[in-house]
This record gives sequence, C-alpha cells and structure tokens, in this order.
Amino acid sequence: MKTLELRNLKKTYFDPYAGSHVTAVHDVSLEVQQGDFVSVVGPSGCGKTTILNMVAGFIPHSGGEILLNGKAINGPGPERGVVFQSFALFPWKTVLDNVGFGPKMRGVPKAERDRIAHEYLALAGLSHAASRYPNELSGGMQQRVGVVRALANHPEVLLMDEPFASVDAQTRMTLQEELTRIWQERRPTVIFITHDVAEAVFLANRVVVLSKGRVLDQIEVALPRPRVWDDLIEDETFKRLSAQVLHMVRSA
Amino acid sequence: MPHDIDAARPPRWLASAGGAAMFVAPLLALVLIWAIAVPLFGINPRVFPSVAAVGGAAMESIRDGTLIEHIGASLLRVGLGTLIGVVTAVPLGIAMGVSPAVSTFLTPLFRFFSVLAGIAWIPIATLWFGYGFGAIIFVIFNAVFFVVTYNTLLGVSTIPMPLRNAAASLGAGRWALLTEVLLPGALPNIVTGIRTGLGFAWRGLIAAEMIATNVGLGYMLFVARDFYRTEVIILGMIVIGAIWLLIDRLLLVPLERSTIERWGMVRRA
Repeated sequence: MKTLELRNLKKTYFDPYAGSHVTAVHDVSLEVQQGDFVSVVGPSGCGKTTILNMVAGFIPHSGGEILLNGKAINGPGPERGVVFQSFALFPWKTVLDNVGFGPKMRGVPKAERDRIAHEYLALAGLSHAASRYPNELSGGMQQRVGVVRALANHPEVLLMDEPFASVDAQTRMTLQEELTRIWQERRPTVIFITHDVAEAVFLANRVVVLSKGRVLDQIEVALPRPRVWDDLIEDETFKRLSAQVLHMVRSA
Repeated sequence: MPHDIDAARPPRWLASAGGAAMFVAPLLALVLIWAIAVPLFGINPRVFPSVAAVGGAAMESIRDGTLIEHIGASLLRVGLGTLIGVVTAVPLGIAMGVSPAVSTFLTPLFRFFSVLAGIAWIPIATLWFGYGFGAIIFVIFNAVFFVVTYNTLLGVSTIPMPLRNAAASLGAGRWALLTEVLLPGALPNIVTGIRTGLGFAWRGLIAAEMIATNVGLGYMLFVARDFYRTEVIILGMIVIGAIWLLIDRLLLVPLERSTIERWGMVRRA
C-alpha cells in the first residue's frame, strides 16, 4: 500500500542575490510504500532538503503534487514527523516533556503521555535522561531524543533531514544501527535525506539518487537485517551497492 | 573515602556567604575611603557629609518611620508601573514578532521609543495626568513598556525556525505555538528587557518623584536639598542604589538561574 506519493514535484524560488528565479527541484516523482525505508542521497544543492521541507509542509511547492494516502498535504501536520539536522529540541522542556510534546498536542492527559514518553525513551536507551534538559546531553543523545520524539507521535511518515550529520563518526554508526533496529521493531515509513552514500545504503530498502533537482536512479538494497556495521563493512553486496551509488553521485 | 571529598568542599551557606562578602567588599572599601577622606581634608558638611552624619540621618529616619514610608511609596510605584508595562508589552511583542514583515517595520520605532523611555516623558506626563500618582506610574510604565516590547519582539524573531517547524510538525496549533515555543523561546530577551526597563524605571521614578509628588525617595532627596541636608541626600542615594542591587540579586538573578541558565539558553555570567 502506498503511503506517500510525489508527482512531478517542482520548486522554484526567487533568489534575491542572483536577482532571478532559481529551480531547486525540477521534476521529481517518487512513491513510498507503507513501512518502507527510503534514503534520498545526492550532492549538496541537488534539492534533497528542499524536497523534504515541501513534504513536511514547511515550504510550499511550485508545481506537481504531494499526496499522503491519496490526499494532498496542506502545511505541516502531525502525520508527517520530522527529525532535524539541528535536533530542534525545545531547550526549556525536559527530555520527557520533549518526547511527550506530540501526545500533549493531541490532548493526551499528563499521566498517559508520560507513560508513552517513558516507553519511547526506553526504546532508545534513554530512560535515565528523562528529567534532563537537552543542553545537558551530548549531541548523539539529543538526536536519539529527536528521533523518539517524532516516533512517539505515531506519524504515518517519518522525515529525517541529515539527522546524523552533526554527530561524531563513532556515534553516527551507533545511531544508524539503533535506527535500523527501531525501524524493524516499529516499522515506520521513513524518508531519510543524506549526502553520505554508505549511510544511505546501510539504512534503506531503496536508495533514491538525486541530481540537479531530478531523480537520477533508484537502487534496491536487498541486504539482510538486522544490519550491523561490523558485518556490512566486509559484505560484498554492500560494497558493490555503495560503489554503484557513489559513482552515480560523483558523476552527477 | 567519599565523605572526605564532601568535607573538602565548603558547605552551601558558607559558599553563598563568601559570594555575598565578595560582592560587598568593594562597597565597604568605598565607605572606608569616605570615612578617612572627609575628616582628613576637613570637608564642609554642606558639601559632603561624614559617614557618622549619614548614619545618624539613617537612624533618625528609620526611628520616625519616614524612610520606610518613602521606600514603600517608591517600591509600590515601581512595582505597579512595571507590572502594567510587562503585562502589556510581552503579548504585544510576541504578536509583532510572529510576522517578520511587521517586526522589521516596527523595529526602528521601538528603538526610538526605547531611548526616550522614562525621564524624557516626565514633562508631558505631568501635563496629561497632573502632579501625582498617575504621572509617575505613566513614566515607569513607559520606561518598561517600550524596552520590554522591543526585546520580546527581538526574542521571538530570533527563535530558530526549526523549533517552530518542529512544534508545527508535532501538531501544535497557533495557541500552542505561542505558549509552548514563542513565549519560552523569547524568555532570555524578555528577561533582558525587564532588567533594562526596570533600570530605566527606577531612574525615571526618582526623577519623577523630585517633581511630581510629596512622598518617595526622589522627593526625600529633593526636599533635603532645600535645607542643605547633604547627609539625607547621600542617605537617599545609598538607599536608591542598595534597593536596585537587592532587586537585581534577589529577584532577577535567581529568576535567570532557574530558567534560561538551566536550559542553557544563556551562559552563566
């Protein structure tokens, strides 16, 4: 069953420095099935973050359609959860209240949303940090909170915008492994934006390669799960797929 | 042994007493210089009073209740004027900050009025409200209102866009965005605004009391001048400064510690 569908999506905007209209996204069509995990990879300036911002409803699109379960989206909404590169946790809320924010907006009573938040914190191994404020946590821990905050709201699609780009390499690998584990447990529909080819292949069922605002190609990733870096780093299929995507991105 | 580590650290009350001592030390040094200089240079009490004379004036005005009366009147005015100012300025600042176009348009206006805030309004305030309570409250309100509005506006417009987007994508409507994101997000600037505004208000109050009333610390200074009572003038000045330090240390600093410093939104001064 298809959850999200982009049809001939287009984005142009006026660039005040260039003094002219710029097309960031030319013509992108994409289908994502329910429970699927799709990575979107491409060099900077390929329009990947613009696409995510349009799907999230943060910016309007200039042409084409964005359909969620067959209905056109209109502005941001809780059925599309977002994980931000800058984490975007509320500094004035404890970790528990950050995770419970979505349920609070749905009108869930305090006791019940605390229970939900505790459940999701446990999923990310963060139970001990519930009463902390975000600034007291490391970047890796903050982004774990960012991921479960989005999940705790049961979105139909989880939109992730280079979420691990600003954490250190070791933590990034751990976070990637945790994300694949959580995905297997909960089966959210995920669109994952990244410029990191290995990350895109490691996480996804399908990698969409973007170039200059167009879909260059889509590559199925038939690697077994659970995925662990210590295994995949030696895996021939993983190496071959990564190389294939890398050549595409570099020639793009 | 863990208790040895605890023993090495001074207890909490001693640490805060130490902090207070560090704070008071330079002020005491100033009093010491004053106590030495006045008799040393044989300064005329009409020019500058001795420490003992000011101490005597303090005892006298405490005993007859006039000092408390003046302080009470001044604090009531500054408290009421500030309250009205903050309660009106914060919602207005947030409403203006939500729209970038509106905030860009109004920023120069509020900068202009922030500079004028307080003392410059006393003449026209006395024309509008007559000499007395109304004019003084207006001057204080005015000193607080523009600065707090401007800072709130600034605070809201500098909240990172991802935070607003995050709230929207988690299902926050307009009202929730306001109370859950814009208000706490603007709090560091609101606190700065209140601090600056209170400073303006306190100065404005003293000035307004010199002209527009018959009770309060400003009035106390001004009347003492007519009788060449420099010891009362200096006493009044000390009380004005000391009250400001107390408001700042006991009210504003703890407020900042428990909120915006704890959240990591400003670094501890």
